[in-house]
Amino acid sequence: MIGCFPLYPPLELFHSLGLNPVVLWRLKGEGGQTGESDRHLQNYTCSVARHMTEFLLSEESGAFLDGIFMYNACDTLRNMPEIIEGGLETAGRSVPFFNIHIPMVPPAQTDGDEYLKNEVNRLIEELEACFDRKFDSVAFQNSVAQFKRLRMLYLQAEAAVANGGIGFREFAGVFRKAAGMPVEQQQGILEPLLSQYAENSKNQDKAGIILSGILPPPDAMVEAMESSGLRIVGNDIAALHRSYADMPQPGAEPAAYYRDFYFNHYPCPTLLYSGDRRVQALLERCQQTGAKGVVFIGEKFCEYEYFEFPYLEKKLGGQGVQTLLLELAVDDEDHSAAHGARIEAFAEMLSTS
Amino acid sequence: MSEANKTDAGRHLSKIMQNAYMDLHTRAKEGAFVVWIAINVPAELFYGFENLVYAVPESHAAMNAGKGVGAVQCEKAERIGYSMDLCSYARIDIGCAADGGRDSPSFGLPKPNLLVSNNNNCSLLVKWFDVHHREMGVPHFIIDVPFCYGPQKEKDRNYIIRQFYDLIQTIEDLSGQRFDWDKARQALDYTNRGIVHWKRFLSHARHRPSGITAFDSFVQMAPFLIMRGTPEFEAHYKLLADETEQRVKAGDFPVPDERYRLFWDNIAPWHQLRDMSSNLADSGANIIGATYTSCIGTVEGSFDMYPYDGRDPMRYLARTQNCYICPHGMGLRRRAMRQAVETLGIDGIVFASNRSCKPYSVTQMDQQKFMSEHLGIPSVMVDVDHADVRKYSKESTFTRLEALLEMIDAKRAA
Repeated sequence: MIGCFPLYPPLELFHSLGLNPVVLWRLKGEGGQTGESDRHLQNYTCSVARHMTEFLLSEESGAFLDGIFMYNACDTLRNMPEIIEGGLETAGRSVPFFNIHIPMVPPAQTDGDEYLKNEVNRLIEELEACFDRKFDSVAFQNSVAQFKRLRMLYLQAEAAVANGGIGFREFAGVFRKAAGMPVEQQQGILEPLLSQYAENSKNQDKAGIILSGILPPPDAMVEAMESSGLRIVGNDIAALHRSYADMPQPGAEPAAYYRDFYFNHYPCPTLLYSGDRRVQALLERCQQTGAKGVVFIGEKFCEYEYFEFPYLEKKLGGQGVQTLLLELAVDDEDHSAAHGARIEAFAEMLSTS
Repeated sequence: MSEANKTDAGRHLSKIMQNAYMDLHTRAKEGAFVVWIAINVPAELFYGFENLVYAVPESHAAMNAGKGVGAVQCEKAERIGYSMDLCSYARIDIGCAADGGRDSPSFGLPKPNLLVSNNNNCSLLVKWFDVHHREMGVPHFIIDVPFCYGPQKEKDRNYIIRQFYDLIQTIEDLSGQRFDWDKARQALDYTNRGIVHWKRFLSHARHRPSGITAFDSFVQMAPFLIMRGTPEFEAHYKLLADETEQRVKAGDFPVPDERYRLFWDNIAPWHQLRDMSSNLADSGANIIGATYTSCIGTVEGSFDMYPYDGRDPMRYLARTQNCYICPHGMGLRRRAMRQAVETLGIDGIVFASNRSCKPYSVTQMDQQKFMSEHLGIPSVMVDVDHADVRKYSKESTFTRLEALLEMIDAKRAA
C-alpha cells in the first residue's frame, strides 16, 4: 500500500505496478486528535496537513504503508516529507518516500512536457527498483480503465445527489468509507448505491447550491444546509469533483496520459496554471446544475483557496450567483452548528432572490 | 532613527532608496516597460532591456510595514474580502494597489505591463500576483522552481533556464525591445561584486562583540531587493562594508557589553526592528545573524558566497534560485544554520514563528528540537507576523526572549 499526499497523485501508475494507492485525506473521518502532529506543526497549519501527519505517525494507522508519495501540491506539503521521515525514524520505522515535481508553468508559456515525462519515468524506475516490479503498459491501460470507471461512478453518484436520489451526507460518507480502499472495492461500494437509488423530485423546489472547498463539510453542517431549505446540487471540492471530473485520454504511455491528466485537469487553486479557467468552470457548474448559490467551505489557513474567494465572489455575483464563505479549522466539526444562523440567512436570501 | 543618528551607510541607504522609487515612477511615466516581480526573480536579466523598470511588491510591503502603515494597508485588503490569515505582504500590496497607492511612503508602485512571479519562496506569490493579473488585466509570467531536499539537480536547473529564456522572449514580444546579453552580464557583475561586499559586511558578526546586529542587515538588504544589477548596488555595499570595518577597528560596536550572541530564523518583523533591537541591547543581547539575510548570494545548504564565474549568466542565475530558505528542505536548512551557529559562536536561537510565512515556519518545531538535541543550543519560539503589527504581542515575545537569556545563563552556570 502506498500512501499518497493529497491532492492529485498518479494513482493509475501505482495501481499498474501492483500497489494500492491511498490518498491521505482524512481517512479516520471527522473528529480525531492531532496530538502527535502538534509536536511537529504549528497550529496555523491546515487541518489536511495536521491530520495527515497524525495518521502517518501514529503506530496503528500509518504502520501498514509500504511507501509514501508526494508531489508539489502546496507549500506546506512540500515541507512534510522530512518531518514525517524524522517522526518515523524516532519511532523506529522507515518507509520509502517518492516524489515528483509537476510543472506549474502555464503550457502556453513554457513547455513542461519533457520535464513531466522525465519525472514520470524517474518515478517508474524508482518504484520498480524499490518494489521489484516491472512496469507493464497493458497493466497500466487496465489501471487507467479501472480509475476511469471509478470516476464515472462518482460522477453518476454526484448526478444522483443533484436530482435528490442520494443525500449529500450519504455521498460524502461513501467517499470517506471508500477512500482508503483499492479501486475495485471502491467501485463495489458505489455500484450498489447507484443501482438502488430512485430519483426524488420532492425537494426540487428548494434552492440549489454548489459546495466548494478542499474536503466535504462535516455532516452537521450539511444537515444545517438541508434543514434550512438548501439542496446540494453539485460540488467543487478538491477531494471530490476536482479529483474525478476529468477523464484523461486512455493510453499506454504514462507520460502522455499524465500530461493530459495534469495540464487539462479540472481547475484547482493548487494547480497554478489552471487559475484563469476556474471562474468559467464554476459558472458552468452553476449553469449545468441550476445552482443559485455557491457555499465556500474555507479550509482555514489554505491560502490557495482564500486568495481566490474575493474574485470568485465578485464574478459569480456578477452572474447572479450568490456566495457564502464558511470557515473550518481543526476540531471545528464540533462547533459547526455555530454556522447555522449564517446558513439560514443565506438560504432565506436565495429563496427570495 | 533620525538622519543625524544614522551612519554614513544608513544615510546613503535612505538616499538611494528614495532615488530608486523616484526613478521608478519617473521612468514609468516616461513610458518605460514596467515589470512587477517576486523578490528572487533574476532582476539582472531586466538590464538587458533598454527601457524597462522593475518594482518589487514584497519589498514595497516591507517598507510600508517598517514605516508604520502596514496595518492600515492590510485593513484595506481585508475590507475587500481578503482574509486576515493571508500573508501580510500580500494584504499590504493588494490593499495599497486597490487604494491607488495612498498611504504608501513611495506613493505605491506604477502600474505594471507584466507580472513575473515564481513559486520558489512560495506558490502563494503566484496566487497573489494572479489577483493583480485579474484586477488589472496584465499578463502574468510564472517561473516554476522545483523545491529541493538536496543540492539542486541538473534537470531542475535546465528546466529553470528554459523558463528564463521564455521570460526574455515574452518581454521582447510585449515591449518590442531587444535583449542585450552584454548588458545583462554586466548587471550580474555588479550584483556579484556587491554581494562580495555584503558578505564582508555580515562577516563582522564574527567579532566579539559583534560589529553588526541582524537588525542592521535587515534594513540594509533593501538594495538587494530593488537595486540588484546596478553600479549603485555595488557602491552601496562597499560603503557599508568599509564603514563597518572601520567602526570595528575603532572599537565602535552596536552592543558594546554583548553577553548574549543570538541568531534569528525567519523574515524580519519590520514593524519592531528598532524596539526589539534596543530592548535586547539593554539586556546585553544582540541578534547578530539571521537565516533571512545570510542566504543572500549563496546556494541551498550553505551561507558561503556562491560567486558568479563570469560565464553563462543563465546557469548562475538558475543555480542560485533555491538559495533562499523557503525553496529548500529542512536538512539543508539545518546544515546552513549549524554552520552559522558554529562560525558566529551563537549562544541561542530565536525561531520566529511567522503566521504570514508558513513555508518559512512550518519546519521550525523540528528544527528547534534538532538544534537543542544535537548542538545543545538553547532556543525559543516567538510568534510574529512580518508586516502586520496587529498579530504581534510585545509582552509575550519579550517574556520568551528573557527566558532564552535565562536558559543561556543556566547553561553557562552548569
